[in-house]
Amino acid sequence: MTTAEHHHHDDQIGHIVPVKFLTLICCILLVFTAITVWVSRYDFAEINISELNIIVALLVATFKATLVGLYFMHLRWDRPIIGFIFVGSILLVVLFVGMALTDSTAYQPDIVKGDTPKVAQAIDELKH
Amino acid sequence: MMSTSIYNTDASTTDNYLNHTKGVFSWLFTLDHKRIGMMYLVCVLTAFFIAGVFAMLIRFHLLTPEGMFMTQDQYNQAFTAHGAMMVFLVIIPGVPAALGNFVLPIMLGAKDVAFPRLNLFSWWLWVFGLIFFLLSLAVGGLDTGWTFYTPYSIDKTSSMGGVIPALAGAFVLGFSSIFTGMNFIVTIHRLRPAGMTWFRMPLFLWATYATAIIQVLATPVIGITLLLLIVERSVGIGIFDPAMGGDPVLYQHFFWFYSHPAVYIMILPAMGVVSELIAVHSHRHIFGYKFIAYSSIAIALFGFLVWGHHMFTSGQSPLMNVIFSLITFSVSIPSAVKVFNWLATLYKGSIVFNAPMLYGLSFIFIFTIGGLTGIHLGTLATDVHLHDTYFVVAHFHYVMMGSALIGFIGGIHHWWPKMTGKLYNEFWSRFAAILVFIGFNMTFFTQFMLGSKGMPRRYATYVDVPELQIYHVISTIGSVIMAVGFVITAIYLLESIFRGRKAPRNPWGGRSLEWQCASPPPWNNFDEQPVVGDCYDFSVLEWDDEEQGYHWKEGVAHPGEEESEIE
Amino acid sequence: MMSSAFSILFGTTVGNPETFWLPEQASTAAHSVDITFVLINWICYFFFAAIVSSLVFFCVKYRRKSHVMVTDGPTHNTTIEIVWTVLPLLLVIVIFVVGMRGYLDLQEAPEGCYEVQVTAQKWSWTFDHPQYGATQVAELTVPLGRPVRLLMTSKDLIHSLWIPSFRVKMDVIPGRYTSLWFEATKLGVFQLNCTEYCGKGHSEMLAKVHVVPADEFEPYMVKLASEYEDMTSEQLPAYAINRLYNRCQSCHTLDGTVSTGPSFMGLWDRVNTGAVKFTSGESLSSLLGSMTEYGVPENYIRASILDPQKHIVQGFLGAMPSFQGQLKDKQITAIIEMFKNLEDLTDADGNITVNRDGTPKE
Repeated sequence: MTTAEHHHHDDQIGHIVPVKFLTLICCILLVFTAITVWVSRYDFAEINISELNIIVALLVATFKATLVGLYFMHLRWDRPIIGFIFVGSILLVVLFVGMALTDSTAYQPDIVKGDTPKVAQAIDELKH
Repeated sequence: MMSTSIYNTDASTTDNYLNHTKGVFSWLFTLDHKRIGMMYLVCVLTAFFIAGVFAMLIRFHLLTPEGMFMTQDQYNQAFTAHGAMMVFLVIIPGVPAALGNFVLPIMLGAKDVAFPRLNLFSWWLWVFGLIFFLLSLAVGGLDTGWTFYTPYSIDKTSSMGGVIPALAGAFVLGFSSIFTGMNFIVTIHRLRPAGMTWFRMPLFLWATYATAIIQVLATPVIGITLLLLIVERSVGIGIFDPAMGGDPVLYQHFFWFYSHPAVYIMILPAMGVVSELIAVHSHRHIFGYKFIAYSSIAIALFGFLVWGHHMFTSGQSPLMNVIFSLITFSVSIPSAVKVFNWLATLYKGSIVFNAPMLYGLSFIFIFTIGGLTGIHLGTLATDVHLHDTYFVVAHFHYVMMGSALIGFIGGIHHWWPKMTGKLYNEFWSRFAAILVFIGFNMTFFTQFMLGSKGMPRRYATYVDVPELQIYHVISTIGSVIMAVGFVITAIYLLESIFRGRKAPRNPWGGRSLEWQCASPPPWNNFDEQPVVGDCYDFSVLEWDDEEQGYHWKEGVAHPGEEESEIE
Repeated sequence: MMSSAFSILFGTTVGNPETFWLPEQASTAAHSVDITFVLINWICYFFFAAIVSSLVFFCVKYRRKSHVMVTDGPTHNTTIEIVWTVLPLLLVIVIFVVGMRGYLDLQEAPEGCYEVQVTAQKWSWTFDHPQYGATQVAELTVPLGRPVRLLMTSKDLIHSLWIPSFRVKMDVIPGRYTSLWFEATKLGVFQLNCTEYCGKGHSEMLAKVHVVPADEFEPYMVKLASEYEDMTSEQLPAYAINRLYNRCQSCHTLDGTVSTGPSFMGLWDRVNTGAVKFTSGESLSSLLGSMTEYGVPENYIRASILDPQKHIVQGFLGAMPSFQGQLKDKQITAIIEMFKNLEDLTDADGNITVNRDGTPKE
């Protein structure tokens, strides 16, 4: 006998998400992928806000990841704790990347200036 | 309706998990957690002995300042093999995979873990990981150190050719670890019996649970890191290579973000074992149950915040250094709390000095030193002097070997009668435990002094500081004593399998569920999942002279049993 | 004032000779590092003694006398839990603050430091004194009582510079500059180690720090900067291979292995006979002889050190930087003499067999 708390779960299969709905989400994701590709080709420097490139890209990526998490990963219909676990992992990523970037930003002034021979050669090759 | 077969499994039946089915394939492809646990145990101990041989090579080589018998290249390969095998093949899987797999489901009164196939897959991944490591030795050798620091590990003109297979091996072993962790989390959440609320679980399960959380959260990071290294070395993407504009110190962030939580993967399960050892072998209810349980979780969580303390002299900015140093001290507190609680458990106990208890007491002694010397390393001013010296080597051997490994061995001795159904030789087990304790301290305490006096790490020779030779000599003598202790242990454990006395169901007087099924357990553990009470309340047990073990007191109800149902 | 209190309490004094745990103190920073170390040690001794003596005491007093289960021990006590959580926490915060202050002192280099540029590479240390134009390999001379700052970079891998007696350490990273500073307080010779694993020669990547009196320092440096000036041409090869070759080492081997650049082994023979082909298709022989660009092979070598991109040897990428301004004329002459006499200076494995003064190495 398993513990009493999940007697009723034994009989259910679990919440089923209709295929049509998942396809709809997939189409939305594809649309936003197309937006990302278009934005990458459009240089916002022309209207003097070149940071917009990265802002738009990150916003779109966050929105898409949210859709994937909520619907494809079933978080919308699961118990809140599952969502917290997912968000917890994201927080750990933020901690790691944040600390590493803070550190590397701090020593940027100490980096040897100029391109190394390999880098110069690679840039050369790209141009031709 | 509870059947009494749970508690008084017919001792006359000889059918158990060891002989239930026969043949090599019935083991290699088993889904039974007990068999998987035993296979892990054999594999991990074999890897331990191989890596131990490398350690002995190192210690003998360092007897003289010029180095006794190895070339620089051979020495570099020796310490890399020793470190990589011990960390990835022995200590990280160690307690969770070998002991946890066996004991955890039985402690829960369950038939198996939540995902038996995943469990088997974890074991096979361990085997593949070992094969990859052996491959790396064959395909050019490995001399990067277990930390694989860049640019050395990505520079093909510097490091030997076996790097990529070794990275692949570590990657595969990472997944073995992740799957074990996932399995244990789900098992503990879902398969607890009636009466076992979170705060009624044996502390070994709290420790295993905290470990599993770390395994699942942290290990993917090393997986990605190793992949990046493989791609960097083979294709040259330039992320860590300064010749291509990359940042070699970034690798250290990646590596230590996993490897620091990894050391808590190593120590937490051993601490869980020690909680069991101290309580059972002093017949005392554990003191401060909730605090020990919470401290395991605290260590698991804080452990993610301190990785930068491995990088204090790597050019990390002073701000980062200060932050990491401060948080590092916070991790030391839960560990100290555990030690104090174990001491309080001994108070007013009834302490027997058998092998499991000797290992448990050794743990407390050695972990105290290991933990306290962590303070020297977490403190910024002193760490500048001590980083990358033998002081660090001594510190981590005190906590990884003297604590985690000794906890592991203590657990092996504690659950040996349950796993094999045999009792080992009492005298030799105590003798070996004492030898290991003395040998260990002799080997590694001198290394603290070596480090603070000026001996750097990973040096094959020390011709400029010949006055340090005496410390190296004492260290090597200690390692021989320790090795003798381990060899004696291997001998009497193996001997017990063939000629040991048959073990009773409950030789030590434990109350957790594994002590209530036969030794060795039957194929499916329990027919029905029992109800449990307080697993540290030993007052319900009494000694039975006939079976030379403990059994439930006559006339005392089992949890969930009505008074009228008692036989 | 605090540090004098600590000194009295823990028995350390400035300039302490070697103790049970630590080497002699030979820098201003060593004192505060050692105070921190000793403070931590004594706290550790206390806790160790308390824990182990309780352990032994309980084991003796409560050893098992019968199989009867005991039931009268306490199982929890929230007050004591809080006490033994909070007290250690306060203690470690004190330790943290002491350690942090000592550390920050090690980071902040004072004004007016004497600067030394350090280059680490597999497996040697090169110390350049830009103020005097002098270079030292495997040894560093510094003045007593004056702050010295080391500005460091690596040519290949991550190394780490550690001077135990000064209690300073910092990793040396390729593509980046790191620094450390110290002020030596004792005359003498002190050990310097590489302390980040860097492969085969890691254990041998050592150097010696010579602390000399401040008034002797400048004359010594000036002499060092021009030591080659009074040398005869017989002395130049041994000087070049010990003092100058390390700058070429990362790309040019002595044992015949082709690296980023051609090996120096047999180079003079190839150059002398003109048997070198360039990427332009020309061969060196067409550039030697009367009425040609170079005339004598020595001129070609001189030109290839000062303007290496002019003619790139076939099969190489032209990665060599110019040494214009870094090497004086006579130093280039020394290098040329070194090439001519390379067989007398090295063995078949490319190891240098001669000291700077011409005496054979052990």
